[in-house]
Amino acid sequence: MAVRPLEVAAPARGEPGVWAVVWRFARKKPLGAAGGVLMLVMVVTALLADLLQTHDPIATDAAFTLGRPVAGHWFGTDHLGRDIYSRIVHGARVSLIVGVASTLLGSVLGGIVGLLSGYVGGKTDLVTQRVLDILQGLPLLVLALVMSASLGPSVQNVIIAISIPIVPRAARVIRSSVLSIREMQYVEAARALGVRHLRIAFRHILPNTMGPFIVLCTAQLGSAILVEATLSFLGLGVPEPYPSWGRMLSVSAAEYAQKAPHLVLFPGIAISLAVFGSNLLGDALRDTLDPRLRGA
Amino acid sequence: MKRFRMAGVLVAVVLAAAASATPALGQSPKSGGTLTLVLREDLAQGFAIHETATISVVWPAMPCLNNLVLFDPLKKVESLDTIIGELAEKWSWQDNYRNLVFFLRKGVKWHDGQPFTSKDVKFTFDMVRGAPDAQARLRINPRKDWYANVEAIEAPDPHTVVFRLKKPQPSLLLMLASGYTPVYAAHVPPANYRTGCVGTGPFKVKEWRKGEFVDYVKNPDYFVKGRPYLDGLRYIVIVERGTRNAALQAGKVDAAFPGETTKTAAEQLKKAVPQLVVTPFSQNVNDNIMMNVKKPPFDNPKVRLAVSHAIDRRALIAAVHQGGAVVGASLAPKPWGFWGLPEKELLGLPGYAAKPADEKARARKVMAEAGFTPEKPLRVEMVTRAIAIYVDMASFVINELKQIGLEATLKQIETAQWHAMATRGDYQIGANLTGIGPDDPDANFLENYGCGSPRNYSQYCSEEVMKMIDRQSQELDGKKRLELVYAIQKKLEADAARPILAWRIDYFTHWPHVKNLVPHQSIYNFGRMQEVWSDK
Repeated sequence: MAVRPLEVAAPARGEPGVWAVVWRFARKKPLGAAGGVLMLVMVVTALLADLLQTHDPIATDAAFTLGRPVAGHWFGTDHLGRDIYSRIVHGARVSLIVGVASTLLGSVLGGIVGLLSGYVGGKTDLVTQRVLDILQGLPLLVLALVMSASLGPSVQNVIIAISIPIVPRAARVIRSSVLSIREMQYVEAARALGVRHLRIAFRHILPNTMGPFIVLCTAQLGSAILVEATLSFLGLGVPEPYPSWGRMLSVSAAEYAQKAPHLVLFPGIAISLAVFGSNLLGDALRDTLDPRLRGA
Repeated sequence: MKRFRMAGVLVAVVLAAAASATPALGQSPKSGGTLTLVLREDLAQGFAIHETATISVVWPAMPCLNNLVLFDPLKKVESLDTIIGELAEKWSWQDNYRNLVFFLRKGVKWHDGQPFTSKDVKFTFDMVRGAPDAQARLRINPRKDWYANVEAIEAPDPHTVVFRLKKPQPSLLLMLASGYTPVYAAHVPPANYRTGCVGTGPFKVKEWRKGEFVDYVKNPDYFVKGRPYLDGLRYIVIVERGTRNAALQAGKVDAAFPGETTKTAAEQLKKAVPQLVVTPFSQNVNDNIMMNVKKPPFDNPKVRLAVSHAIDRRALIAAVHQGGAVVGASLAPKPWGFWGLPEKELLGLPGYAAKPADEKARARKVMAEAGFTPEKPLRVEMVTRAIAIYVDMASFVINELKQIGLEATLKQIETAQWHAMATRGDYQIGANLTGIGPDDPDANFLENYGCGSPRNYSQYCSEEVMKMIDRQSQELDGKKRLELVYAIQKKLEADAARPILAWRIDYFTHWPHVKNLVPHQSIYNFGRMQEVWSDK
């Protein structure tokens, strides 16, 4: 009979509930909580974009082009008379979908690479790490630019383009956790009992890397949103006429910025808040989940 | 109607402004100096003007080459009366417009020192007309159909060339005067023009650094004595439109790229730098929708007609062009062009009803007959060039089509792939800009609506229309020809062959020290730079 190694224990009776944990987190990390609120607002905006919009985001109004903010158009209109508020609301959906999907895809792929590389070790680890060295040598934006330019502009391609540069970063983080976990006694015990390697790696080691994995995801989310905005700014992101914050900043915004500064102002604020919120939350989660930084 | 009248008044004002803005005839030209000009993208086909259909190539390649004849660089209006000789010293129509004889300049040299002769002319025009015995072939030949009426080209001696025509065609001379019609060197393979340039023009290519710049130096052996005035030219590539305008405003470039300065942008520039010279001109470029009639769903005439009904031209002009364009059919309307349908004639055509809501209702009805409604929409992929002025227009059109049950996603295509893709018919629907070399019915109809023409991107082919085109081409009575041209334009719009949405006006902007750079009524014909000088 195989002895089951240590499993994650069920919460004991009397442990604080979710809201209590959130409250405690908010009191200990108010900036992180503020970041969390910003991200929550973004998620809600993205989910309820159809309800929150005041106009169709691609509808043009020839009679009100480059219009300043007024009652009917809270953030004004762009050069084609499209409502900027509605485009920002829908742009949140694009930014969130691209940000979350590319972060998850890159982190999961990188996590698997890091897990196998760290667990198997030896030459496999050596070769994998050198390949990751090469990939990591290229800045995230540069690699995403190359990928995006070669794949062409579309939501799916932007997700792939941003996720690839995340792979080496995720692989490094997970590998370093795996290197310490694989030497633990319960892993040795599992090996001694004849548990298959893949089962050890995925069933017994992987769950214990979740802390760094979550921190990694939140930290990369901000970068992914920013890179999406940059790619769209450069015309390599989500195609027109569908709104994307980065694209709203480019194309005609730069041309008409003198006459209609609101074209630049509102998408710029939206990008800044999203990246700021994601970074604040990521930093606070890192501090909370990393035992070495607890109390810092 | 009121808006149209207002537009008329505006056009008159603009023409008056244009007249006052051009050339500084009182000043004596000065030699020396260089100009920095700007490009919106790299040269997709290099200097191979015969293989291109975009101003992105013609504008920076023109200074290297010469035509037989050219529209006078110093005159805004282009007509038979403003044509001057370049490589041809004189020319003469014979046999009631059936033979066109050119007497060539003597002593002209190519940039590599070889002499220019009638062989070069025969070589070039046999190649572009696709003659069976042509010495070379072009990879893409966009304007082959301009020369469909040429039966033979003869070079009886080194300085005489005869174009023998099947039927009279006075328009041939206008097409030969376009910037799209340079003479290539017979001793240089045509493919070489994609990467470099051996011309006879006023400037020699010094360096082309792809994606960055093209540098020219003065041709000291140029056949026009005392020209060019400038020592050199530099064309720098700035892809982003706002950055281009900022560079112009900051004085980093001396003149805008033709066709790229919108009315609002020009107003902003003028407000920021009052001494900048802004000249509105017609471009001879229209916004249009190309629909592939050989592929579903646009092989269905009802769907094509619905598209034409759906797009509110006046709203497009107000939104996309901020008023900097005019309505018109397949030829530019007065005062910007000569042959375009007058406004009253447009009102009965699809898309031009006084009430846009009526047009949308008609479009929805036609779409419903074809089996599509806003609830059960037709989904298509729309293509456009990856250039801001194209994308703006496409974004507007997508919203218009959405309202009649046609949902389009937009795919942006780089210029290097665009023309090949469109020629192959590898698309469903496209938001397109069409520019025509000279303002002439033959040039436009043969190139864009002729059966089998490589530039007939929608592949529309009507025997009836071809006969009408043929008739107007041979008609020597101007009034009768104009009537025929009107009838063709009406037929093309009624068939939704390539619905025309607007005729663009450019607000060409340059610094006051740039002299003799006179925008013409077509953007393709004033890039030679031979007469341009700098008063810096």
